[in-house]
Amino acid sequence: MKGKKFLGLRRDWKPEEADSWTREDWLAIIISPLAYALLMIGLALLLFLRMDGLIIFLMGVGATILLHLVIDPKLRALSSEYEKKQREYLRRLELLVRWREDE
Amino acid sequence: MIHFSPLDWIWLAIYLILMTGCGFIFYRLGKRSEADFFLAGRGLPWWIPGMSVYATHTATDTPMWVSGVIYKYGLRGLWYTFFSAWCAVAAFVSARIFRRSLAYSQAEWQSLRYGGLGGELLRGWMSGWGSFLNMFILGWVSMAMGKLCHYLFGWDNWVGLIIPSLIVAIYVLSAGYWGVVMADFQQGIIAFFIIVFASLWGVRVAGGPEAIVARLNALGELWRLNPFHFSGFFRGDFPLAWFLTMLFIAILGGFGMGTSIDWYAEVQRIQSSKTVRDAAYSIWWGTALTLTRNAIWAAAIIAFFVLYPNITEASQYEMAWYRIAFEHIPAGMLGFLFAGIIAIHFSTISTHLNLGAVYLTRDIYHHYINPEASERKLVMAGRVATALLLIGSFIYGLMMEEITRWLIFALWIMGAGMWLPNILQVIWWRFNSWGYLSAWIANLGFSWLVVWILPAFGVIPELPDYLQFWALMVLTALVYIPVTLLTPPENKLHLAKYYAMTRPIGWWGPIKKEAQRLGLIREEAKP
Repeated sequence: MKGKKFLGLRRDWKPEEADSWTREDWLAIIISPLAYALLMIGLALLLFLRMDGLIIFLMGVGATILLHLVIDPKLRALSSEYEKKQREYLRRLELLVRWREDE
Repeated sequence: MIHFSPLDWIWLAIYLILMTGCGFIFYRLGKRSEADFFLAGRGLPWWIPGMSVYATHTATDTPMWVSGVIYKYGLRGLWYTFFSAWCAVAAFVSARIFRRSLAYSQAEWQSLRYGGLGGELLRGWMSGWGSFLNMFILGWVSMAMGKLCHYLFGWDNWVGLIIPSLIVAIYVLSAGYWGVVMADFQQGIIAFFIIVFASLWGVRVAGGPEAIVARLNALGELWRLNPFHFSGFFRGDFPLAWFLTMLFIAILGGFGMGTSIDWYAEVQRIQSSKTVRDAAYSIWWGTALTLTRNAIWAAAIIAFFVLYPNITEASQYEMAWYRIAFEHIPAGMLGFLFAGIIAIHFSTISTHLNLGAVYLTRDIYHHYINPEASERKLVMAGRVATALLLIGSFIYGLMMEEITRWLIFALWIMGAGMWLPNILQVIWWRFNSWGYLSAWIANLGFSWLVVWILPAFGVIPELPDYLQFWALMVLTALVYIPVTLLTPPENKLHLAKYYAMTRPIGWWGPIKKEAQRLGLIREEAKP
């Protein structure tokens, strides 16, 4: 595969490539629930001023940042091309069916 | 009972003006079209529907439910709230697939995924069920408000059940989803601030974090701060088998559509987002906020425990967060706290009023009764549907007495036997409408049997909830797997169009080839 990489993961995507399910998606699927669990448990323990709470919470923040780095470039590419097509489709549809007060 | 000072009434009045004002401000946007009345024109940045996800899933009964599990299980109880982690996967899988379909509702999506008579039957069934379910949720959430108002002011339950919902109806009827989502945005911020403030105040009242830990130690209850304090693999009140089942349901559930009852409300947030990326982030961040809110609540409820450690009645300790908030908040802030509670309530009521109206308008009136209806008629139908749901919810609410029992049963009906079919319909091309329809019918029957009827007659013992899940999953599969394989697959052209539109994950190889053969998608270049 071509393109810029971060820790072996792709950072630049063409829209048609972003349509496929790739290892970046699977990595996001694994990191995402882990980030939730770490944030929730870490914060609860942190509120009792526990050091393990602080460490777990910071790990949760780190997992959230990593998730963003992994999946955001792909989501951006996926959205840009698809939304262009959808906007045009919806524009025509809405022009056809929209109710106007002055009619 | 509590007593409001003039300042408290001022807080409340300001808040009510702010909320009903949304109806007037967004009235012109909401009435433009069906897409505006139900999806805010599909143009929202992620942080607006994201805050709406958070606000909607913070209902009046949520603090009661979280109080119940945290008071009983300590921080282990947080895992009961972790079911919402299905959004962790759904944000990047099913939200992406659903957003690309352009369906208004889950019922409409069914007719895109399945064709012919089966697809239509499913759309009809899902829209009827969706309307009923939203009326049902409105009823139980309103009843929780009725009970809270009775506790706070001594009013009869029906007063809290009806009056707040009538106020919500002003902006939902006027501005539709525009009113809902914009009010939700304000409500989410107000509710989060209030929850943080009241919870930290509660921790302070109990002597602060260190004093709470010392008191737990003295009581021999320090295990309450250990979220992984299991009672055995199968034994005790918090078995590891339950925990593993919960993780399995929550995380894998994100591959499906409808594996959680909350999916149906998220659908509207997903589809109202302006891009696939906004849709993904809206439910991810909305749920992240929900889970961190639960952690903040948990601290306050443990503070309540050290103040009142000997409560055994669930109906009393379920009020833990409300009690520590209302009984100890500083003078002049009571009205602000109550405004926060009203915010929590309004956001849930408004969401389900508008969501229920989507099914009645888009899937029943527009699709079956008047397909040629003008946008003006559709917006009017949306308003009539909203009013019908409101009246229906009052009737349901007055019929319900015990919140938790209904809530758990409804969640099981939606979650257990239908969990796997809801995933299969997303990831496996061969799963057809007859399989899905038979799963619904079998699940309704088996849920009643396994949860209530058979244990009541002593035929089977009363099973713990996680074993009910596995039993319902296996029993339902014994019906829908044979039905799927013994009936023909969906029409390949229909599936190829669906594939080209949504690009689903999983086993879609033959359909992908068909879509390429038809020229609907390009063939991938060989490396």
